Amino acid sequence: MTIQGVNFDFGILGPISVLVITGLVVLLVDLVGRAVPRVVLYGIGVAGCAGAFIALAPLYGRSATTVNGAFATDRFSWGFSAVLIFTLAVTLLLSSLRNADDGNSPASYAALLIFCTIGGLIMAGATTLIGIFLGIEELSLALYVLAGTGYPRPASEEAALKYVLLGSLASGFLIYGSALLYGSAGSVSLSALSAAASSLPLLFVIGFGLLLVGLAFKLALSPFHLWTPDVYEGSPIAITAYMTVAVKAATFAVLARFVYTVFGHDSVALVPLWLLAIFSMLVGSFGALRQRNLKRLLAYSSIAQAGFMVVALSGVGEYGLSSLLFYLVAYALMNLGAFAVIAMLGDGDEAYADIDAYRALFYRRPWVAVALTLFLFSLAGIPGTAGFYGKVLLLEQGFAGGPWGIALALALIAGSIVSIYVYFQVVWAMFVPQEGEQPVTAGNSWLTWVPVAVGVAGVVALGVIPQVFVSIVSSSM
Amino acid sequence: MISVLVFLPALFALALLCVPRANASLLKGIALAGALGTFALSCVLLPVAPAGAAQEVSDWIHGAVGAAYHVRVDGISVWFVLLTTFLTVPAVWAAFSYRDLARLRGYLVLLLLFEWTLLGLFTAGDLLLFYIYWDLMLIPVFLALVAFADTPSARRAAWGYLIYNLAGGLVLLAGVIALVLHTHTFEVLNGSFPFTPVLQRWLFAAFALAFLIKTPVFPFHAWMPAAYTQSPSSLVAIISGVQSKAGLYGFIVFALPLFPDAAQYFAPAMLVLAVCSILYGALLAIAERNAKTLVAYSSLSHLGLVLLALFAFNFTSLPAGVLMIVSHGLIAAALFLLVGFIEERTGTNELAAFGGLAAVAPRLWVYMLIAGMAVLGLPGLSGFAGEFLILIGAWQTQPVYTSFALFTVVLAAVYALRLLQGTMHGPLRVPADVPPPRDLRPRELGLVAPLLVMIFFLGVWPAWLNDRVPAQNPAIGHTTALVQPR
Repeated sequence: MTIQGVNFDFGILGPISVLVITGLVVLLVDLVGRAVPRVVLYGIGVAGCAGAFIALAPLYGRSATTVNGAFATDRFSWGFSAVLIFTLAVTLLLSSLRNADDGNSPASYAALLIFCTIGGLIMAGATTLIGIFLGIEELSLALYVLAGTGYPRPASEEAALKYVLLGSLASGFLIYGSALLYGSAGSVSLSALSAAASSLPLLFVIGFGLLLVGLAFKLALSPFHLWTPDVYEGSPIAITAYMTVAVKAATFAVLARFVYTVFGHDSVALVPLWLLAIFSMLVGSFGALRQRNLKRLLAYSSIAQAGFMVVALSGVGEYGLSSLLFYLVAYALMNLGAFAVIAMLGDGDEAYADIDAYRALFYRRPWVAVALTLFLFSLAGIPGTAGFYGKVLLLEQGFAGGPWGIALALALIAGSIVSIYVYFQVVWAMFVPQEGEQPVTAGNSWLTWVPVAVGVAGVVALGVIPQVFVSIVSSSM
Repeated sequence: MISVLVFLPALFALALLCVPRANASLLKGIALAGALGTFALSCVLLPVAPAGAAQEVSDWIHGAVGAAYHVRVDGISVWFVLLTTFLTVPAVWAAFSYRDLARLRGYLVLLLLFEWTLLGLFTAGDLLLFYIYWDLMLIPVFLALVAFADTPSARRAAWGYLIYNLAGGLVLLAGVIALVLHTHTFEVLNGSFPFTPVLQRWLFAAFALAFLIKTPVFPFHAWMPAAYTQSPSSLVAIISGVQSKAGLYGFIVFALPLFPDAAQYFAPAMLVLAVCSILYGALLAIAERNAKTLVAYSSLSHLGLVLLALFAFNFTSLPAGVLMIVSHGLIAAALFLLVGFIEERTGTNELAAFGGLAAVAPRLWVYMLIAGMAVLGLPGLSGFAGEFLILIGAWQTQPVYTSFALFTVVLAAVYALRLLQGTMHGPLRVPADVPPPRDLRPRELGLVAPLLVMIFFLGVWPAWLNDRVPAQNPAIGHTTALVQPR
């Protein structure tokens, strides 16, 4: 279909269209109906996710563009889009819990989450600087609001304010960097930038540097991570879970597309990215050591994990993208699973993120404890889990990626060694038998068991028979 | 069939989980049946030992670096497999006296899972599979120390154990990945790969670090005393008897054949570490006041001897090393179990707190005497056979290092006799609040007896084992040049 000279292929735009409609339907239902229970609203959202998956399925392995070449479905977008939609579904489930914070306005909460994900999908498919910026802004603006839905909890307000202030600064870097890149190439299209990337004029280098700062902020790569612990701790559990996975998925889609289409080979201009990654792995791992709040602990861990994922791109190797995607899927499963357990214990109550709630959990709720242990093992990279094989793939990329790749791989090993204590201190707390008074952790909602069960199955399957998944990923490219 | 053997303990562990916790007798029955069944199945593998290898290979992972699900048993690994299955039976049986019946099930499950990971390691023919079990075996021990040892110091010991070994494991992982990027496959056992000398040294260093930590060898033994002392005796019998051999197995099967030149290059350093472990371990054992820690340090000393044998590169290195490994496994398990029986009776392991048990427990005394004499290296017991073969073999290529190692014979006598004397002889002393200890029960007699029988058997007929171990690793065509006996 062509409208005023712009062609729209609603096959390629299918997942986005489905989610747009879903978001509008949620708002309309709330407008028309009186006091619609939030389970219904979130249920519509989950149904929309299913619809988006159905729309995404036929795009598997396809490579095509639409909107006059500004939006693509290709090896960069498909897998990342699938992770985004999955994350949205899990977040909606976790938001439906009895004690979950949603600012008492479930319709706008659900709609914002859905629009947020649309921003992520635009980022994954955008092939121009303008498209990328639009996607990032749509994702970020919605998240600024969502971070504050814990109102009147002061931590949630603080989170929203910190996020919006620092986030707008990062957007400034992004837009300025994009402008300079446009200046260096004379086009906003990424493919046009590759000529500049091979000769590296000053304008391009500065522009790319500024763009990298903006993206590093979104990924919480150190030293642009200072907002992360507070924002992740203060936001409602479901939103924190969403931020750790969805923002990473969307931003890594942009980063991977940039690295592979603009550079296409290892370049000296990418050295700042490698340095950011090395720094993040160490800062994130060391920072997590002393955390007593599980949300904050996972926030620091997500800084380190973002650094790990960059290792996949080192050397810009042939298998880099599939390794990145494998690790991202593993991370989505284990991290969302861990957050689902946190949400489960108090039916969404924030108080159950403190490590004290997990003391002797194994003796009160053995299956919950075993599930959380499995997720933590996977985050720590214990063999037999998805996180382990993901790390094997990352290390393969690192050691094959030249001197910087080897440095990244060694930083990954060092970060992993430090984070042994991080993840196992929670396991330790859960398995130490304890007499006397114990916290009540009775929450047992099926809404949380669904993501936990999916997470357990996925973490084990990706760890024991990774080949099945590796094939799926590589043929989507 | 090898896969069945590996996963059998895990299946029995699952079966245990289906039994209600209160039904203690059924739990005990299933656990013991699992251990016995695994041992019986592993005995079927013995005939393949002198001949080639039995193996099963199936597809697992393709891609940039391929891996296969490859399990195998050959003339070397069969002894590690047999040692594992043989020692797990008394360990599981000894665990029946675990103090809290409500938690017995969890403990038995962990013991059987531990056996599974050990069997997996010793049968792995693929480097990725080997690595998976290498790390996985830490988990049951960590959880057992945290949840089932019931003392704050055990929970602290769990950290030392986990962090040391997992850190070593991650260094090994770096080495493994750097290696497979040059071989393009995790199936490294049947090929020879030309590595540059520099790369070979780096890879060997990464592998060796992990192996030295897990054995452990001086100066990487900091985690050992606490972990050995704080573990329940049924668990430490397997840790010391079997798990401590995992690093040596790694040297024999992977590091030495894959990096022969680097092994020669690092041999002096490894020999120094071996001699340090032998002497330092023995001296620490002499000075030690806790019976369990004393046995732990004697372990450090004896495994140093195996390292000496492996890096002396002579024709008897491998057979003598394997004999010593099996012999030490039997002796260490027997001693730890016996010390555990004493601990159950007196409530302590401190040598100063009790003594003279021979007066009230003559059967315990006989058992301790045999195990103690085996540690000391009395001719006619397996400890002597292993030590003697190692020292006489190593003397031919490395007389200087071996002459230092010879002191262990004297030092071992000192600490072994100190252990015997301190616990058994003299007037009866027990802590004030403890009733006079009773002698070994039939169960306790029965579960240690097979270990002592094997110690005797290998002492009088070491050739039964020795002749079945090839002098060269059969899995790899080229190996380090060995010195023929003169």
